[in-house]
Amino acid sequence: MNNHLNPKKLIALLLLVCLSVLPLSGLADGEVLNVYNWGEYIDMQVIYDFEKEFNVRVNYTNFSSNEELYTKLMSNVSYDIIIPSDYMIERLIRENMLQPIDKGIVTNLDQLTDGVKNLSFDPDNTYSVPYLWQTVGFVYDTTKIDPEIAEEKGWEIFRTPEYEGKVYMYDSERDAFMIALKALGYSANTESDEEIQAAYEWLREMDKTVHPAYVTDEVIDAMANGKKWLALVYSGDGAYILSENEDMGFCNPKEGTNIAVDSMVIPANAANPELANQFINYILAYENSVRISEEVGYASANAQALEELSSEDGAYAGNSAYVPRAGYEKDEMFHDNEIMRKQLSELWIKVKLHE
Amino acid sequence: MNRKKPFLARFSSWYLILILLFTYLPIGYLVLFSFNSGKMRTSFQGFSLRWYEKMFGDRTMLESIKYTIIVAVIATVVATVVGTITAIGLSKSKRLIRSIILETNNLPVMNPDIVTAIGMMLLFLTANVKQGLVTMILSHITFCTPYVILTIMPKLRQLDDNVAEAAMDLGATPFQALTKVILPQIYPAVFSGALIAFSMSFDDFVISFFTSGEGINNISMYVYSMKRYNLSVNALSTLIVVVVTIILILANLIPYIKGKKTQKEDI
Repeated sequence: MNNHLNPKKLIALLLLVCLSVLPLSGLADGEVLNVYNWGEYIDMQVIYDFEKEFNVRVNYTNFSSNEELYTKLMSNVSYDIIIPSDYMIERLIRENMLQPIDKGIVTNLDQLTDGVKNLSFDPDNTYSVPYLWQTVGFVYDTTKIDPEIAEEKGWEIFRTPEYEGKVYMYDSERDAFMIALKALGYSANTESDEEIQAAYEWLREMDKTVHPAYVTDEVIDAMANGKKWLALVYSGDGAYILSENEDMGFCNPKEGTNIAVDSMVIPANAANPELANQFINYILAYENSVRISEEVGYASANAQALEELSSEDGAYAGNSAYVPRAGYEKDEMFHDNEIMRKQLSELWIKVKLHE
Repeated sequence: MNRKKPFLARFSSWYLILILLFTYLPIGYLVLFSFNSGKMRTSFQGFSLRWYEKMFGDRTMLESIKYTIIVAVIATVVATVVGTITAIGLSKSKRLIRSIILETNNLPVMNPDIVTAIGMMLLFLTANVKQGLVTMILSHITFCTPYVILTIMPKLRQLDDNVAEAAMDLGATPFQALTKVILPQIYPAVFSGALIAFSMSFDDFVISFFTSGEGINNISMYVYSMKRYNLSVNALSTLIVVVVTIILILANLIPYIKGKKTQKEDI
């Protein structure tokens, strides 16, 4: 009769199983700060130190695209800090989904580097404080492609017949059309049908000439391994590739490129705005900026940190991809434009289908 | 003339080998690279445990494991209990009611996850329920239960109705008839239903994404959001493979050992 099982025992057993996993959920007391950031985009030690210093708990979770973040915001959750990119911040400001930064708390704002000051989507940092930033450029194998030729060709390098089969193209309509528009001397934010059509023809030609492999983040590993000669990358990923493979070079093309900034913002429905402001100030501080930028490889928004990391003793000494080009008049930022985005997306699919 | 194996027989053994290769080669590759001392997922540079260290040092990752397990365990237990009771009840109900309920039960199984996910999200939004761990667990229970019912129903059809009635005639309470007569007979189906529920819940992304609140990631959401893949994901997957293997071995060994014991007692 040892495995006699009566109803009460059975129910008790099931409840016990459920209850035994609940404590794992660790409902910590004290203040909680909900931070939502890109994956693998921070030095976690900075978060732990913040928790210790302010005696709070940080709930740190990740997203993988601005659109995913936007979807999440629509479902009524409340984050204290989110870190979207430029064009998404523009949209969030327009839709009144953010609250102003408390400049009485975020005193480190004066340490911003020139490249991320006066950004078009939020010139006075009313709603946003830059976190990391970068440009779009290309990484190339210097043993196969002469650096001088790379600089001279600019974006046209993606239409060089000799590189057929040796090219990775980043599979994103916004970036692909950006290089085509820039190569043709237009603005990356153009709304002119004619210019977009010309860019489409440029990309079709590119597809026909070099037969690129359309990839996303796997390009990082592939170029670090030197699998192909040429790839369109973000400078932050370029910095990583260059530090892994010394044969690789990085170029910001002369026709101009896109500058991308990810900034910290506080949603309007944040539960803990004061702590959120303190968090922003903490992240922006020199020593924390250094740790984050060194870990991630993207350029710091803190001027001193950027200088330190790219100086001779810095982690990115001699790495041409680490410091983004700043103040070049042909470079620009993306604006939020839903209609253009859809149009480009349709055309981009056609390019990839070789139509 | 017939010394050579017929073509089909040869083909079928090759076919089997191919299937096994396709199933296990990627897992082997994944396990191997979890021990890579370099950062690459394509070139093996030497043996090290650095990715395991990184995994156990990464709180976000550990938390995602924790949430995955909490949700999967609770969802499995509740879905199995609810599903088993429903299935037993259905097997005794009228034909019309049974087929109506079974069809309703099939709907969420056939529906793509995204429909369930968005439906759930809208429900929580309309009802003004704050999304969090609880909403995520509720959703998981909801999409796991139909699978349990589906696995148990066929087994119940094989049962002889009279056995439970005989037990009650002989003095068993209805609950005793359920736990001592019906459950032991359908136990394998309940167990596989629970396993299906657990693995469905464990690797769900879509429904978890739309129904969890701020600050909650499960393993799928965490891996998906990584900007730069690192090999601690391999380390994590390796651990999961090891745990699953152990569970499967135990699940097969325990009945075997028990069987031997009862045999001895019989003698």
